[in-house]
This record gives sequence, C-alpha cells and structure tokens, in this order.
Amino acid sequence: MDVMQIANGLPMWIACGIPVVFVVIQAVLFAKGAYSAGKKVGLSDEKMKKAMKSSAVTSIGPSIVVLSGMLSLLVTVGGPVGWMRLSMIGSVMFESIAAGLGTSAVGVTLGTDAMTGEALGMAVWTMILCSIGWVLFSTFAANKMDKIEHKLSKGNAGTLTTIASAAIIGVFSAMCASHLSKPFYSMLQKADAAAMSSSWHNLMACILGAVIMFILTQIANKKNIGWLKEWSLTITILGAMIITALI
Amino acid sequence: MNGNFYKDEYMPQVNKIGKLTGYLGVLVAFTPALVLAVVYGIVPKPAALLTAFISGASAFGVLWFVEPISYFPVVGPAGTYMAFLSGNISNMRIPCASMAQVAADVEPGTEKGSIIATLGMAVSIIINVSVLTIGAILGTSVLAMLPDSVKAALNYLLPALFGALLVQFGMKMIKHSVIMVVIAFALYFAIGMGVFNWLPGASNWLGTLGCVFISIAVGIATLSNNK
Repeated sequence: MDVMQIANGLPMWIACGIPVVFVVIQAVLFAKGAYSAGKKVGLSDEKMKKAMKSSAVTSIGPSIVVLSGMLSLLVTVGGPVGWMRLSMIGSVMFESIAAGLGTSAVGVTLGTDAMTGEALGMAVWTMILCSIGWVLFSTFAANKMDKIEHKLSKGNAGTLTTIASAAIIGVFSAMCASHLSKPFYSMLQKADAAAMSSSWHNLMACILGAVIMFILTQIANKKNIGWLKEWSLTITILGAMIITALI
Repeated sequence: MNGNFYKDEYMPQVNKIGKLTGYLGVLVAFTPALVLAVVYGIVPKPAALLTAFISGASAFGVLWFVEPISYFPVVGPAGTYMAFLSGNISNMRIPCASMAQVAADVEPGTEKGSIIATLGMAVSIIINVSVLTIGAILGTSVLAMLPDSVKAALNYLLPALFGALLVQFGMKMIKHSVIMVVIAFALYFAIGMGVFNWLPGASNWLGTLGCVFISIAVGIATLSNNK
C-alpha cells in the first residue's frame, strides 16, 4: 500500500483525533474551573465574556498562520499527523525539524526523497518523543514554580504584578528583537538577496505593527472609542501585513 | 476572604486537573504511533530512533526546561499546564492570554489576572483547533486557493503581531520597554553573529530566556527605587 494512503487513512484520522479531542477537553475543564472561580473572586460575567471574545478575535490571525504551516506538513507526513501535531504540543518550526530528523536517520530527506513506511514511522515517533519533554517538565513543575515565585516576592502582590508585567515585556521585546536584528547581522554575514529581502520585510512589518498600534491606542484613549480598543489589534495586524506586502 | 478561596480551593483544583490531564496527555500523544505499529506493522528500528531522538533532544532538550520557566510568570500555573500540552505558545497562547487581560481590565500576576488568562488561553485553544480541523479536512485545496501575494503577506502577520503587542503592553511601562528593546536588540544581534555559539543551542533559547530575566530584574530594581 502507498505510504501516503496509510498516512491519510481513516485509522490515522481516528488515532490523531483522540489526542486532539483530549487537548480540547483539557481546555474546557480549565475554562469551566476558571469561570466559576472568576465569579467567586468578583469578576463579572460581562468582563469574562469580553475577555473570551477578545481572545477569540486575537486567535484567528495566528491560527491561519499555523494553518499555512500545517499545509507543508500535510504534504510530508499526511493530513492527520500534521493536524494532530499542530493542535497538540507542537509549533510549526519544531514539527518540521523533528520530522526531518526522524526521516533522515533512515536516509530519507523530507521534501526531496519519496516517503517510505519506515520513514513515516520514524517521523511520527521522533515528533512525539522530542515533544513530550515540554509536557512532562511543565506538568511536573507548574505547581512548584508557583511556590518559588511567591517565595521570591515574599508574597508581596505588588512585586508579583511587576514580575508578570516585566516578563510580558521581556517576551515581546525578545520576539520583536529577533525580527529587528536579523537584517543587520544577515547583512554582515552576506546572506543571499532573497533571505535579505524577507528579513527586511519582517522588520518593516514589526515596526509598522508597533507604529499603527501606537496611533490607534492614542486615538482610542483620547476620544474614548470602545470598539476601536477592541479591534485595534486586528486592524493593526491586517494593516501592517497589507502595507508590507505592497512595498 | 477571596484570597483563601483562590489558594485553598481553586489552586488545588487546577493542580489536580493539570497533573491528571498533563500525564494522561503524554500517553495519549502516542496513539498515532501505536496505530501505525498495530494496524500497519510499522515499527521503527530502535537504533535509528535513538539516533533521531538524540539529535532532537540536543536541539530541543534545553527548551523543554527553559520555556516553561521563562513563560511561567506570564501564564501562571493553569496556563503552564495548558500552554505546553497545546503548543504554539509565543505566537498564540501568550498574546491571547494578555489580550484577554486587557479586555477585562485586570492586572497580570494577580488572582483575577490569572483566572482571565486561563479563560483566554482556553478559548484560543478551541479556536486554534477549530481552524486547524477545517484546514486539515479541506487540506491542500485551501492553500491552493490562496493567491501567492496572500501567502507572502501571511509571513508578515507574526512580526506585526509582536510589534503591536509590545506597544500595547509597553505603554504602561514606557521607559522599561524602551530599555528592554535596546537590550533585546543587542542580545539578538550578538546571538545572530554567533557570539554565543559555544553554548549548545543558544540561538534557540538564550534570546527569550535572557530577555525575560533581564526584564524581571530591571523591573524589580526600578520598583525598589520608586519606594
């Protein structure tokens, strides 16, 4: 039987559906717990619904990016595995590297050589084995890190808030800096023209995102326009994306 | 008091759900491999698998520990359980958790903030899975339908999102953010130039971890100065 027929067969859809459903069940369990806890600590229904709506709107854009990354996995390891891997634990970059490592250990280069049954098995096993480290460690450590953090801040709520806010800024400045610095060191390392052009475009998208967001937030705050606050992120991302693509 | 409810009732419940679903999730992740073995008789050779695993572990092994630690202050315990089972953390879970906090007007790092972040993350997981499910079923025809210019534009979505979010959260701590961007730029430039190549896999983890910890350190230092 052709390997891709196996990879896209019904047994594989069912096998991959189980982990995907599991991830959704976990999310629903946590959401239910958080919702009832929210009521008890004095969060209004209205606030929580607003939060969920805002998160849903924010998810759509990145989900489509992940989807476009998933399509490259569909070609190499089949629909079900690609679907499961990006719904569970994975990220696009990790999955393609792990799949490649697995197949190359049996002499199949992803994207150039034809997939064999052995290589498919290797890809699937490698993707799973290399990703469970994250889940094992985070599941083991989640409640312990809480205690460490509380000890560090000595239970002071103000310090804890500062730590969290500073950490968020740390995360996003890191994400931005990775795009902002790339054209400069690529230039020094004499990268080829295609790589340079895409890294300059990423830099521009990042700066445009920041500038448009700044302008929209200023307008929304000064004139107190509620809907603009809610949609500012969507408008910003779409705007920055379109302008960058046109230039 | 509310604090007692959160610490004494909500957190033990979160830990119970988290531990159970986390460890079970690891087992469930193996179903596709199991089906390949049982239904089709495809079982990889242990030696080849070990080779692949060792190269994977040396590329990602540090991240298994570094990422949960560096994202913990942002996502909290419930978020840590959820984010690492569902993946796509920096590009989706954290932005969604943070935007939910903005919409509900709660501070990160507080009890209310953590509850809202959990809600936001759960919603983003459900949306993400829905989009991917539709995409996987419709398959390659979805991508084939998109014109090349749209496909190219999609590459710019994430950098734009990061730029926008940095401004959104940086507005509250402008000085801090400007300092952090400069530090982060220098750090990433150095990593890109290969300054840290002597550290294994530095380009994967050093940037985020470095920025989170420097940012926390600067934040605490300026906080005590203000007092």
